[in-house]
Amino acid sequence: MALNIKVKSIKVLEGLPRFVYILAVIAALGMSAGLYRLYAGLNDTTNLSTVFPWGLWISFDLTNVAFSGAAFTLSMLVYIFHMHDLHAAVRPTVLFGLLGYSSVLVILFFDLGRWDRFWHFLVYPNLSSALFEVSWCIAIYSGILTFEFLPIILDKFKNAKISKFVEKITVGMVIAGITLSSMHQSSLGSLFVIQIHRLHPLWYSMMQPEFFLVSSMAAGISTIIIGSYVSIWMFKQTLSEKIIEKLGSFVPWIFGLYLLMKLGDLILGSKLELLFTSGILSVLYVAELLLTLAAIIWFSIKKLRSTRKNAVNGALIIAAGIVLNRFDVTWFAMKSLDGSFYFPSLIEIALVVGVACGLIVVYSLAAHFLPVFSETLPVKDLPSSELEVLQLTQPVAGD
Amino acid sequence: MAKYGFLIDASRCIDCRACLVACSVENNVPMKSTRIWIKDSGVTGEFPNLERYTAPFHCMHCIDPSCVSACTVGALQKNEDGIITYDNEACIGCRYCMYACPFEVPHFEWSKQFALITKCDLCVSRLAEGQKEPACAATCPTDAIQFGSRGDMLAMAHERIRSQPERYVEHIFGEHENGGTSTFYISPVSFDQLGFPTAETTDSPAHFNRIATEEGTPIIAAGAAIGMTGIYLALEHNGKKQAVRKTEHAEDKHDTAGKE
Repeated sequence: MALNIKVKSIKVLEGLPRFVYILAVIAALGMSAGLYRLYAGLNDTTNLSTVFPWGLWISFDLTNVAFSGAAFTLSMLVYIFHMHDLHAAVRPTVLFGLLGYSSVLVILFFDLGRWDRFWHFLVYPNLSSALFEVSWCIAIYSGILTFEFLPIILDKFKNAKISKFVEKITVGMVIAGITLSSMHQSSLGSLFVIQIHRLHPLWYSMMQPEFFLVSSMAAGISTIIIGSYVSIWMFKQTLSEKIIEKLGSFVPWIFGLYLLMKLGDLILGSKLELLFTSGILSVLYVAELLLTLAAIIWFSIKKLRSTRKNAVNGALIIAAGIVLNRFDVTWFAMKSLDGSFYFPSLIEIALVVGVACGLIVVYSLAAHFLPVFSETLPVKDLPSSELEVLQLTQPVAGD
Repeated sequence: MAKYGFLIDASRCIDCRACLVACSVENNVPMKSTRIWIKDSGVTGEFPNLERYTAPFHCMHCIDPSCVSACTVGALQKNEDGIITYDNEACIGCRYCMYACPFEVPHFEWSKQFALITKCDLCVSRLAEGQKEPACAATCPTDAIQFGSRGDMLAMAHERIRSQPERYVEHIFGEHENGGTSTFYISPVSFDQLGFPTAETTDSPAHFNRIATEEGTPIIAAGAAIGMTGIYLALEHNGKKQAVRKTEHAEDKHDTAGKE
């Protein structure tokens, strides 16, 4: 009997890429590292200390939230700006957002000294705390993402009545989602407004909330473009070049605004001199600016953004700029009290890698059982010119 | 209002650490607990004129405390006497206060399975029992730590520097730091040398934090909600008008086609 069930469950999983099983093992190892941390405390398991109380986990969380901004950015374009031609990207993106935020919450849980009290923000309010606000916004927004994910589940069960109701209130939910996203994306920047004595002046700015908010939209677009490429070999599904081109066309505007704000902050804050006098930190800051500028130029050129491969390379430039920025703010440009350099422990790294792998596993399972890619383009339907560029040898039946 | 104040005089401190013992006993915390510790200038000068200065350091009890402004769950509060209290029943151990405090005061129980923040609460329960002073001040054998009303302590600090200018540098640490605190330090050597943290002497970071969280965020939220609704309705309206025009156009065509 037991064997029967086992065989059946394996059959159900047929067609799932093999390496997902490997990722599942890594995820399990990562979670065990996390559980061990809960048992042993932070001192023996992490390199966090009084001189550097937040580490890799916080850097990962902030980066992840930026990339998960894909969900609110896309739903804004599709539902608010009526760009229904982008609709095919909604389901895969909403799923990524949902899982992205969930993984942030998982890591935060392991980061707390009193993880058993993770729910305390619900009953102990402090309205002036950016972290309190972020907690609430992410909690509610996760609910909204779940709602936006509902049509995928309802599709499977074909309940017309509920589907219609869901459709009716979608726009309201999307507006609420964008509002909450604007709040928590910017509030993550507010976290650093109080750290004037801690964060390097090149990065310290009253505009930090706005920097994070604006850049999260570009991060979101890079997520979608890179995701559409990954899904080619993971799920044999992708987005049309037309959609990718259109998404890419917003990057120069978003990053253009971001770069202007950054430069304005440098000039108005009379920080230009620091660009040359801060050693390695100057290099990191200039690298951020150059990556931003490179992405602006890349996506301004229609030829580059309208072919899949070039657009993905451009999206990788965006992603590099975002990762560098979030790691700079939370880690490299953050003063350690005794001047020593923090580097994460193996367990810290294991948990992050494990949670990231777990995200891919859950995504794959969801895509396996639910019509996540119901509106996307099957790889076999791609024009043959594209298949050649992608070097995909597609066995064509009857040819 | 800040009712109480400390005056801590580095020229009087003999590094006996009786205050650390007193704090440990009073609050029933281990000696290595980090509610109070010693700042040390190290040995300076040239033999035989060597000098070394120390001063006990604990929570400054700021007028506008950054930690209170930052704490996710409001575990840190400023009470009506100006004491910054800590509620270990509410704290979740997120360690945001450690980044918010410019004086590097909140410490964390890194080794514990269920870890919390440790911080001086000015012996608030001891004062509530009617005792006059916190344990550290009551114990200090050289009166390096003195305790009283904030106004008296500040006046005393000014008076000592005025009457013995050769003994002190002209700087009362805590008078303006972080927008003003309830703990005042005077010292024969600069506070930099004593290893004190450098804090902004203008507004407390709590002030900037409030601008971001209590003004910035609501503006962003309102902007997003109203802006998105407006754009949606405008485009929806536009779309409908276009659709009507299209059908009208089609009907016109149909009409003319019918006439022909």
